[in-house]
Amino acid sequence: MSKNENTLKRHMGLKAANRISNFFVYLLLIIISVVWLIPFIFIVLQSFRVESTYQVGYVIPQQWGFDNYLKLWNSDFKVWYLNTFIIALASAVLITVIQLCMSYTLSRFRFKMRGPLMRFMLILGMFPGMLTMIILYRVLSDLGLTQANAVPGLILVGVASSGMGYYVSKGFFDTIPKSLDEAARVDGATRFQVLYKIILPLAKPIVIYTILTAFMGPWGDYVFARYVAFGTSSGYNVAVGMYSWLTNDQIARMYTTFCAGGVIVAIPVTILFLCLQKYYVEGVTGGAVKG
Amino acid sequence: MKKILALVLALVMMLTLVACGPSGNNETNPPSQGGGEQTNPPSQGGGEQTNPPSQGGADLSGTYDVTIWCPEAAVELTKTQVANFNSSNTLGITINATVEPVSEADAATNMITDVSAGGDLYFFAQDQLSRLIQAGALMKLGQGAADYVRSNNEAGSIQAVQSGSDLYGYPLTADNGYFMYYDKSVIPEEHVDSFEDIIADCVAANKNFSYELENAWYNAGVFFAVGCHSDWITNDDGEFVSIDDDFNSDKGLIAAKAIYKLVSTPIFVNSGNADFASGSAVVVTGTWNYSTIKDQLGNNFGVADLPSFTVDGQSYHLGSYRGYKLLGVKPQSDAVKGAVLNQLAQYLTNKDCQLERFTNLGWGPSNKDAIADPGVQADPTLNALWAQNEYSVAQPNINGSWWDIAKVITTDIKASDGSDEALKAALEKYQASLEAVFEMSDEVRNAFTVIGALNGSSWDVDFEMTNDGDIWTSKDAFEMEAGTELKCRQGKSWDVSYGDPSTESGNYVVAEAGTYYVQLNAATGEITLIPAE
Repeated sequence: MSKNENTLKRHMGLKAANRISNFFVYLLLIIISVVWLIPFIFIVLQSFRVESTYQVGYVIPQQWGFDNYLKLWNSDFKVWYLNTFIIALASAVLITVIQLCMSYTLSRFRFKMRGPLMRFMLILGMFPGMLTMIILYRVLSDLGLTQANAVPGLILVGVASSGMGYYVSKGFFDTIPKSLDEAARVDGATRFQVLYKIILPLAKPIVIYTILTAFMGPWGDYVFARYVAFGTSSGYNVAVGMYSWLTNDQIARMYTTFCAGGVIVAIPVTILFLCLQKYYVEGVTGGAVKG
Repeated sequence: MKKILALVLALVMMLTLVACGPSGNNETNPPSQGGGEQTNPPSQGGGEQTNPPSQGGADLSGTYDVTIWCPEAAVELTKTQVANFNSSNTLGITINATVEPVSEADAATNMITDVSAGGDLYFFAQDQLSRLIQAGALMKLGQGAADYVRSNNEAGSIQAVQSGSDLYGYPLTADNGYFMYYDKSVIPEEHVDSFEDIIADCVAANKNFSYELENAWYNAGVFFAVGCHSDWITNDDGEFVSIDDDFNSDKGLIAAKAIYKLVSTPIFVNSGNADFASGSAVVVTGTWNYSTIKDQLGNNFGVADLPSFTVDGQSYHLGSYRGYKLLGVKPQSDAVKGAVLNQLAQYLTNKDCQLERFTNLGWGPSNKDAIADPGVQADPTLNALWAQNEYSVAQPNINGSWWDIAKVITTDIKASDGSDEALKAALEKYQASLEAVFEMSDEVRNAFTVIGALNGSSWDVDFEMTNDGDIWTSKDAFEMEAGTELKCRQGKSWDVSYGDPSTESGNYVVAEAGTYYVQLNAATGEITLIPAE
């Protein structure tokens, strides 16, 4: 096999051989990207189709328009969207703060029971969160944070357990040399200043990563959101709300509207990624050079 | 010092959370003692008492906060109808309604999540009745309300809200069944009665046939066509105790063959949606897709009852389930509010409201006067539904897990090669899954059968027996050699079995060759052979 290849290469020359292997690599990549992109293109095109609202056998709309987006605006969708946005934003801020503080503490401080506490949280974190659903519902229900008040309820649930997700950032903080801290302390920096001025700038990628995951979790949450907000449209998030359009008796009327909703849902996530990606790359290379 | 301060602060924060709790609760549940001066005692749990008769002296006037769950399509209409109720009722009731879109299919799941926070009135599909009763989410109708339901609705819909001898809801529609929509340009009028012709037309035109056979609600209809049945037996508390089901039988095999005819073709689409715009020429679905399909097909719109299929020269009309949509009333701690909700529920299910729903949403009414309305009578889809009703089975209380077990039949048939053995294997797998989950019916469990080296079988077939008191006699006579061994056993298991204790094996041994009926005295365990003429 390899012998044949070698003789082949010798006959064709290196350039031609490269070109052929590139051809196949690109072909494969093109196929994969087409498969990957088609659903997105499809959903965008369908969202602009106005001649009918049900599923059809063609992709390019016969009539273009914004009817589906108008329909979204006139439905409960904007309430769901706002709910989701508030939950995701609040969670992103609070979870990031709590998680980074937690990681900094566990990485830099030495205190009694530190080891057992970390192990305890590790084990606790291994139980799927869904197990606690019923009892969490009862707690939220007694606090009056279900149905119409589902938004603060869902933020509370999301944030309450966030400290336990400390592993990744703690691991990253551990790689930043302690001598930097010590140097700063010697120069008179407080613990908080060390975190804020030394550690965080060095740990930018992990901060961005934390923000992204904290934002994305609630953004796509379905199971728990549905359980907490059951039967009350004003407490739904987009996933629960849009899923209610997929029932047998509704899909024919709401199919294109659903597609439009999907496009709108994708927008903030896309923007978030595009904006943060710059910092993300910067953070990685910056950190690499500084070592 | 700092630590103590932090601790105190944390405690204060927790306390404020707790303090928030009850007040938040009160907002969602108005105190039931609202009408303190009124002489209505709090309900004592007695069934009748929760529903004071509507004409009784109780003063119902006042303003009530009511949450209504109905499908999204009906939200606006329901709001209008509640407003009409407010302006038209003579009892001085004002309903302050919150109408939430909750699909009828999800009503039970949502109610059972937390009954106390669920809707006061809610639309639900009939098969959820027993789940809702068990969860305490349905108010039992009082005498007056039950009489109202009985005298105004068609017979099947009354049965749909009945459990034991009591009624638990108000029928809303009598249209929850399916039939066939077709494209007239592909299927000629003379072919709509034949399953095979329709399939052939679709194949010829390269059009799809949408029939959601990988869903038990649809595939059970094929089995009903050949006379199979699948009935759940419930006890008085509405709990499922067993199933009486004969899908795995010779008749069932005919149905399996019919299913194979469609699912083995490339034009089969497992869907109950309005697919005419995406390549289907036939869709089996219900009234809820009427307006969409009408829009898709235009002049080629055709609607009919399901066709007949032919197996081994015999023709069978495809069957279906027919069901009802119901309006449930949640039990209330406040008896007055309970009575008000019943008044509202009666209004929402009366003739006029049902006709409004028919006109605006195409929902087929259950109210007898509404059915008699000329507009309803002329409706093509409802006529197709009524034609199909003759071949349909009213949907009984069905255990939730059955749907998942029964839908696999079609999946297995689709994967098979269509031979009798393969189809039988699919049915046997279905029965095995059933038996793994559910007990056999009492009838089967108590019956005796003959088993042995009979009719060419070797202890692997149970032959049925009929009984007269304790005397059980086999249905068939068997040709037996001398020395043939047999036993009688109960419930197709060896827990209770009789043979002949005097023989070495314990089996009954035939002494003299001949053709005999087997008779068992279950009281003594004695087996005798009765020669057949």
